[in-house]
Amino acid sequence: MLELFAYDFMQRSLLAAAMVGGLCSLIGVFVVLRGLAFVGAGTSHAAFAGVTLGYLVGWPPLLLAVAFGVATVWITGWLEEQGRMKLDVSIGILYTATMALAIVFISLMKTYNAEVYGYLFGSVLSVAGEELVLIAGLAALVLGLLLAFWKELLFIAFDQEMAEASGIPARSIFFLLLTLVALTVVVALKTVGAILVFAMILIPASTAYQLTHSLTALTLYSVIIGTATALTGVVVSTVWDIPSGPSIVLLATAVFFFSLVISPKRLRIRSGHPR
Amino acid sequence: MSRGPHPPIIRFDHASFGFPGVTALEDITLSIEAGEFVGVIGPNGSGKTTLCRAVLGLLAPIKGQLHIFDCACQELRCHHRAKIGYLPQKGVVDRDFPVTVFETVMMGRYGALGLFHRPSPKDRRIAMESLALVAMERYKDTALGHLSGGQQQRVFIARALAQQPKVLLLDEPTTGLDLPMQHNVIELIQHLHETLGLTVLLITHDINMIRSRVDRLVLLKTRLYAAGPPADVLKPNILEQVYGKGLVISDKDLVIVEDYHHSH
Repeated sequence: MLELFAYDFMQRSLLAAAMVGGLCSLIGVFVVLRGLAFVGAGTSHAAFAGVTLGYLVGWPPLLLAVAFGVATVWITGWLEEQGRMKLDVSIGILYTATMALAIVFISLMKTYNAEVYGYLFGSVLSVAGEELVLIAGLAALVLGLLLAFWKELLFIAFDQEMAEASGIPARSIFFLLLTLVALTVVVALKTVGAILVFAMILIPASTAYQLTHSLTALTLYSVIIGTATALTGVVVSTVWDIPSGPSIVLLATAVFFFSLVISPKRLRIRSGHPR
Repeated sequence: MSRGPHPPIIRFDHASFGFPGVTALEDITLSIEAGEFVGVIGPNGSGKTTLCRAVLGLLAPIKGQLHIFDCACQELRCHHRAKIGYLPQKGVVDRDFPVTVFETVMMGRYGALGLFHRPSPKDRRIAMESLALVAMERYKDTALGHLSGGQQQRVFIARALAQQPKVLLLDEPTTGLDLPMQHNVIELIQHLHETLGLTVLLITHDINMIRSRVDRLVLLKTRLYAAGPPADVLKPNILEQVYGKGLVISDKDLVIVEDYHHSH
């Protein structure tokens, strides 16, 4: 099995999986804490619509994926801020609308395009060198912004109104978070696909949430779980010849259910301690 | 407009607040001076929380003016607001949020720090001093979710203190706490008011708990019904106008708002 790691495609795949797994699980911490779980799902489908439009009109698909993803989260955030509708309602509408758009764009294509379906279901094993550079660049940008605004992101995740009252530009930080979620989705699109990228954002942080009451530990656990399941998923998919995206997600899901069993939070409740 | 020799810290000048088509508070004219302990009371929907949001800068007046530290604060995030420490209603904050007591109190420093700045040793010292003021320093590494409701309120008060505020704004700080804990929290607030000279604006339903502690009461019901020493405000005719027939005043002058718990 070790000879697998000598192949270029395998090295590229593992590098892409590590970057995407680590980044998704890092942004996932704020997605889980701020209650933006559904936003990830909606954004990934919107980004996929951007990809299909890109292939249809011959524009860079990832650029349009960024535009569609960012536009969707901004519209969603704006509607919530205006108090016009709850976040899950607006994202639910945009989620289905953009998916419908993607289907229309695919139907308008004259020929079958396998690359489009690669973005839908993920194909980490076929990540090319230039795609790896793009993933690394976007990942570095998202990571840099996350670290630069860490304390503000933490505060708005804890209580946005109180953050605003304390002098934090909470509204801008909230839109920054939404933008970072959209960028992360685009980074991960090629690796795990539009359908499963949401799981890579949500599951590692939700797993870590079961294990600790400390934010530092939660962040660390989330990144370790996200990176480890992404790397293991790629190896498993190669060895057993199954799709890489589902392998990663199913592994992460198994770890999540295991965390529920060993969760100190739940053990405390069972032993009579409410907290 | 001012009641004494000091310039008012907070001054509402014929200010109205609300949303398009809805006026939540109308024509409020009120001054709060440095060092005062003011209780804000009124039935549900009377505009207490609107008043709180206005002082915090989360809501601009639709008419009139609101001055904070003699500044009209046209910018909602005017730096004067940083001098107001805020304790939100219990239940607004996710109590299971993975954060320690110390990390929670440190958030009180974030506004003053500004973007791109990391907390310095001085910020950490201020946070620890704030924890000591509420006698919670030994819990600094404890998860917030592991504390009792009263202890969590103390931590949130410490976070407000970490802002090094001139004003402490507390929105129903005793709601959801058992009776001994309610007294405990109110006594702490009074102690901070007396020892640190903080101006306190306390929003509450519990008239009896604060009536003997505050300098003034402000009674709201979408407009300012009465403001003054408790004895002047807690008069049967005024209270009945605001609370209606559900109000009972006992032999010991205790005010009982019937059905209060049902209305929550």
